[in-house]
Amino acid sequence: MAEHIRNFSIIAHIDHGKSTLADRLLQLTGTISPREMTEQVLDDMDLEREKGVTIKASAVQMHYTAADGQTYELNLIDTPGHVDFGYEVSRALAACEGALLVVDASQGVEAQTLANLYLALENDLEIIPVINKIDLPAARPDEVAQELENLLGTPADQILRVSAKEGTHVEAVLEAIVQEIPPPRGDPDAPLRALIFDSHYDAYKGVVVYVRVMDGRLQQGDTLRLMASQAAFKPVEAGIFAPHMTPTGSLRAGEVGYIATGLKDVREARVGDTVTNHQNPADTPLPGYRHPKPMVFAGVYPVEGEDYQDLRDALEKLQLNDAALVFEPETSQALGFGFRCGFLGMFHMEIVQERLEREYGLDIVMTAPSVEYEVVLRDGTTVRIDSPAELPDEAQIVEIREPWMTIQIFTPTEFYGPVMEMVTKRRGIFTGQEYPTPDRVVLSFELPLSELIIDFFDQLKSRTRGYASLDYQFAAYRPGDLVKLEILVNGEPVDALAAIVHRDEAYTKGQRLVSKLKALIPRQLFAVPIQAVAGGRVISRANIKALRKDVLAKCYGGDVTRKRKLLEKQKKGKKRMKMVGQVEIPQEAFLAVLQVGEENR
Amino acid sequence: MPAVAYSLYIHVPFCRRRCAYCDFNTYARLEHLIPAYVEALRKELGCLAKAAGRPLAVHTVYFGGGTPSLLPAAAVGQVLDTIAQRFALAADAEISLEANPGTVSLAGLRALRAAGVNRLSFGVQSAHPADLRLLGRDHDYPTAIRSVAWARQAGFRNLNLDLIFGLPGQPLSRWQRTVELVLGLAPEHLSLYALTLEHGTPLAHQVEGGLLPAPDDDLAAAMYTWADERLRAGGWASYEISNWARPGYACRHNLQYWRNLPYLGVGAGAHGYAAGQRTVNVLTPQAYIRRLQRPQARPFPRTPATVQARRLTVEDEMAETMMMGLRLTEEGVRAAAFAERFGRPLEEVYPAAIPRLVEQGLLAWDENRERLRLTARGRLLGNWVFRAFLP
Repeated sequence: MAEHIRNFSIIAHIDHGKSTLADRLLQLTGTISPREMTEQVLDDMDLEREKGVTIKASAVQMHYTAADGQTYELNLIDTPGHVDFGYEVSRALAACEGALLVVDASQGVEAQTLANLYLALENDLEIIPVINKIDLPAARPDEVAQELENLLGTPADQILRVSAKEGTHVEAVLEAIVQEIPPPRGDPDAPLRALIFDSHYDAYKGVVVYVRVMDGRLQQGDTLRLMASQAAFKPVEAGIFAPHMTPTGSLRAGEVGYIATGLKDVREARVGDTVTNHQNPADTPLPGYRHPKPMVFAGVYPVEGEDYQDLRDALEKLQLNDAALVFEPETSQALGFGFRCGFLGMFHMEIVQERLEREYGLDIVMTAPSVEYEVVLRDGTTVRIDSPAELPDEAQIVEIREPWMTIQIFTPTEFYGPVMEMVTKRRGIFTGQEYPTPDRVVLSFELPLSELIIDFFDQLKSRTRGYASLDYQFAAYRPGDLVKLEILVNGEPVDALAAIVHRDEAYTKGQRLVSKLKALIPRQLFAVPIQAVAGGRVISRANIKALRKDVLAKCYGGDVTRKRKLLEKQKKGKKRMKMVGQVEIPQEAFLAVLQVGEENR
Repeated sequence: MPAVAYSLYIHVPFCRRRCAYCDFNTYARLEHLIPAYVEALRKELGCLAKAAGRPLAVHTVYFGGGTPSLLPAAAVGQVLDTIAQRFALAADAEISLEANPGTVSLAGLRALRAAGVNRLSFGVQSAHPADLRLLGRDHDYPTAIRSVAWARQAGFRNLNLDLIFGLPGQPLSRWQRTVELVLGLAPEHLSLYALTLEHGTPLAHQVEGGLLPAPDDDLAAAMYTWADERLRAGGWASYEISNWARPGYACRHNLQYWRNLPYLGVGAGAHGYAAGQRTVNVLTPQAYIRRLQRPQARPFPRTPATVQARRLTVEDEMAETMMMGLRLTEEGVRAAAFAERFGRPLEEVYPAAIPRLVEQGLLAWDENRERLRLTARGRLLGNWVFRAFLP
């Protein structure tokens, strides 16, 4: 039976046409009727559709009658399309036997594609390269085929060339899946082991986990157990994605489907965990489970203090579907009551911010992101801090350690110089280079995460005219010569504007931050000095001049209402600012730290 | 209703062309509607008088625009006749009319004077051709000089001249020169307005598009302070944020607004404030004329042209009394008058705002602690003060 199952995923760079190809496969196999066909079925959330990337994995079952006359069950497991979700990608790939490597005929191979390809190879997947978008005027399929031959050893002339958009040669892709991807192995009679590669929260069914059954079988009536979290449950429902959730009551080795667990907390059923039978458990879980660790931290505050409870509710709801999001209450002297949130990366943070604003209609202020530091104190203890405001007094500190990443930048060779310059200016250490094709280079560096989270990707894109791509992984914590950069507005330190920076950069960063704030903070009734302080010394200072004129000149024909409306509008605008001492500070100012890198870095 | 004297505002929304900075309710190339419009004005006055049920005392009339000087003097005369017939128009009433230099003639001004107009307000704006071009005005300064001379010849003894400062690219020296030249015309009253860039006007577009530099507020403040000092030294009374007068020549009509006393607004888009309500008329002249073709009676102060009537709460009225009254830089808000009008002492109504604004140096009590007034600094930061009194 498993002989007729093929489990595969699609590896592609953002915009290389993964979702379009998936849509075509669904159409060709009749999984979805043309009427049901909204574009990009697999990307459920609006946000995903807008950003053109998949945030969460998803799966779908298709039935295909191949040229050999036999009908096959094809399970497509979709992978998140962003480097922040590298771990989720690795679990989705672990659930498959093969992968389509989709490459844009005009763009060629990109760093992230490469990273996912390596992941797929590590998982022993059969790789089927596919060149997409051959209909584009800028397509250069022969060159791209050559790149792929160099990379994979597949002869260039045997590589599939398709246009998912036009539907050209998509049938050939289905045939290749059947012929080249091996059927799932795994022992249907062994104790149950099912890999969780995704999950979502359902108000009625609890946490619904998406699984690939590796060994054994499960019935809806069985009591099951998660091997990492130890949570036991009786499934509310089990079934397949066809393409929507369809109950079947059972799943067996080789199959892909879902289990509605009835559990109320996504953290009890995390991606990567192994589902087994409670009475007849497996000896060892499936390899590769990792507890996802937030890497980037930021304060999230309601603009209006009274929205605090709504913000908490919204974060709790988001957490139901997003096990990687963590938060805890935080109080800022400048911003009041809010939450310190941890994210997998900048993209994850952006997604959460947008969902809070869009889906929950909240007005929020976010502080500049920070990483988590390890601070060794004189008394021998080590504390972990993820907010610059928490950094202890310098006199107590022996050493500050910060997270370093290994990064790979994939770029056309003509941008070698600018990329090298940019990364080394940010304290990056060059560790190696590789030329997968003569005109493309993969540069490897080690780089502090703090340098990566602030404006790095945008700068990289602008220096390479959009061609470079980026991949990164955590390397280690390393000591650094770091200092707290404090900002004083009108003589008072503003905790939400503090940053931890390298001592050599404190001066330039302090100066930039001060001039940025000078531009962002509106003039007040009195002159407001802004100072940057590092290591107990004022390193930069600027003055916001006192406001001289703000008065309506005229009252047209007795139109008092118009005048009043204008004043009311002004008053409302003022309310949206945060009062810090006597000074009104607009929300943008709290993100100024993010922008200091922009100027002639 | 206490026996107060009303002011009467009559809106004339016609202009030959719209100025680059103007976003007021005005229309170019609709002058053919003037006869029907004047007819409608007279009907609306009739409706108001009828609804009031008795001849209301009126002590000022103000023809504002737009360009009221586009009306034939005979038409102005007819409107004034209607007012005299249907209202108790004071013998010494102040009757003002706004005029653009370049739309007037000696004969026309004589006719206006004869019709009863006794105060003219000329939109001179600047003495410099570059400023006038920027503002999109269609007159030049020599025309303004001639118009003022004709007004004197026609017998006008009360002239106001409007000037605008703080224009993009206008240096302080050019503003000073404008003020000096205009003083040479010996007006009784001056209105000096800082330019407000109104969203959607051609001037605002040019600034937003980077074709013109944005007006510099600090420079505008310097221009204001210089002009105020210059005028005070010359014996002028600085009686409102944007208005200066020779002794005895403060504009009585505008004082009515600032003292938050009642006025009736007649004409397209005109605003009124009477019987505790703020009213707004329908905007376009066409709709206005239509609404007055077969007028239906409505309770005072509404008329067939009224599209909005909002009854003010006591909080609204107090806030507006502060917001308007504090614009009067000499008079300010009299604590006794406030207490008499609202039955509560001023300091009890605003226990936090007043001490804070005083501490910030924006407001000050006079020596007898009778009047609350803007300080010199507060005059330039009026919005900070007015906002504090909003409910």
